[in-house]
Amino acid sequence: MGAARAPCNGYALEEKQQQPLPPAPSRALEKPRYSQGTSSQCLDNWKEERTRSEEDNEMNLPSLAAAYTTILRSLGEDPERQGLLRTPWRAATAMQFFTKGYQETISDVLNDAIFDEDHDEMVIVKDIDMFSLCEHHLVPFVGKVHIGYLPNKQVLGLSKLARIVEIYSRRLQVQERLTKQIAVAITEALQPTGVGVVIEATHMCMVMRGVQKMNSKTVTSTMLGVFREDAKTREEFLTLIRS
Amino acid sequence: MACQAAGEELPRPCCNGYNELAPADTSRALLQDRPEKHRREEAAEGGALPALEDAYLSILEGLGENPARQGLLQTPRRAAKAMQFLTKGYQEAIEDILNDAIFDEDHNEMVIVKDIDMFSLCEHHLVPFFGKVHIGYLPIKKVVGLSKLARIVEIFSRRLQVQERLTRQIALAITEALKPAGVAVIVEASHMCMVMRGVQKMNSRTVTSTMLGVLREDPKTREEFLTLIKN
Repeated sequence: MGAARAPCNGYALEEKQQQPLPPAPSRALEKPRYSQGTSSQCLDNWKEERTRSEEDNEMNLPSLAAAYTTILRSLGEDPERQGLLRTPWRAATAMQFFTKGYQETISDVLNDAIFDEDHDEMVIVKDIDMFSLCEHHLVPFVGKVHIGYLPNKQVLGLSKLARIVEIYSRRLQVQERLTKQIAVAITEALQPTGVGVVIEATHMCMVMRGVQKMNSKTVTSTMLGVFREDAKTREEFLTLIRS
Repeated sequence: MACQAAGEELPRPCCNGYNELAPADTSRALLQDRPEKHRREEAAEGGALPALEDAYLSILEGLGENPARQGLLQTPRRAAKAMQFLTKGYQEAIEDILNDAIFDEDHNEMVIVKDIDMFSLCEHHLVPFFGKVHIGYLPIKKVVGLSKLARIVEIFSRRLQVQERLTRQIALAITEALKPAGVAVIVEASHMCMVMRGVQKMNSRTVTSTMLGVLREDPKTREEFLTLIKN
């Protein structure tokens, strides 16, 4: 039996309710975690990642499809009609794809692509398209991520920044937490002088339902290291991502 | 079709209110706008909410999440209610919103309402698609309140849909209500099922159109409509 699942999507919160964790599903393969020393409770350990496997996906697909059939029926639709016949399976597979970040670990993505480079100017990758699912309504939120960091003898392959975004965004998320997880992952991997992450997103849960504000965007940011302390550096980053 | 049981006289209204076997029979299409009324009403009264919540709970578990964590505690209920809102078109009927707002007006020039924001759910993946609807019609003695065109869009888009069918249902509803000389509906949408997954093409848009009556027969009229919605 593997270690108990991290209950907080990798983000430590003070659990107001100390609920006993449900038993973790048995896993055929346990992927090595990036961080060691996992415990049954959430620690302030940003690296702690969920390790769902392909076998879990296959095992869970029938129950997911059954849940979607129930949903179709409960909405008053007819799951037997031609357009909806295969929908439970398609929707279940789509949902597994939207949460595939639970299957991936930072170490798999990063281990080879850290290079020693004597560069100490800002590196920015901006306009990274991001698609995530709001954990409150299970409705998408989509937007762009801008990442900047000041390397300290080590640089990262540029696409790896986008892959870090993918790992954390393909989960049930809250935009604030997503921003922080990306920033902390880069900090842990590279130990740079500073990291800045800005996310600008449109939340379908606000656009398609609820308050229904078509054009609103939510902007969150995390500034670590010198990006937080030095106003000029931060200003340079914010100017460069704007243009 | 898979939905037709053998031996039934009438085909079950199984196609989201649109009977694909009788495309010319517009009145039939609209009569089937409220199929299985009792089922819909029961769903509307909140009888379906617990079943929806249980389904979402098992989805959270099936995805490997922990439904007991703080952020997910109320998620089954919120997601269930959100889904009911996103499919509220099933509980609404065209007659309810249109009956009062048809006016006798001696106007026979084109009336266009464009850039109507539309949000719908793809019936194949249960993932949103959204975009804009442009509607134009040539009245014969009767015009409809302008917001009613947007409400017709709402009724048909807040369902599990296919963009082609949505376009046609809007056009047929207007035809049935007003008997105008012609109706045109264009829907331009972005499908999250293509953007967030699958082929993952960020900037692709799907455009569908339905032209009825003189807007189908006369190319000049159609051209006028298409030009007016462009800018």
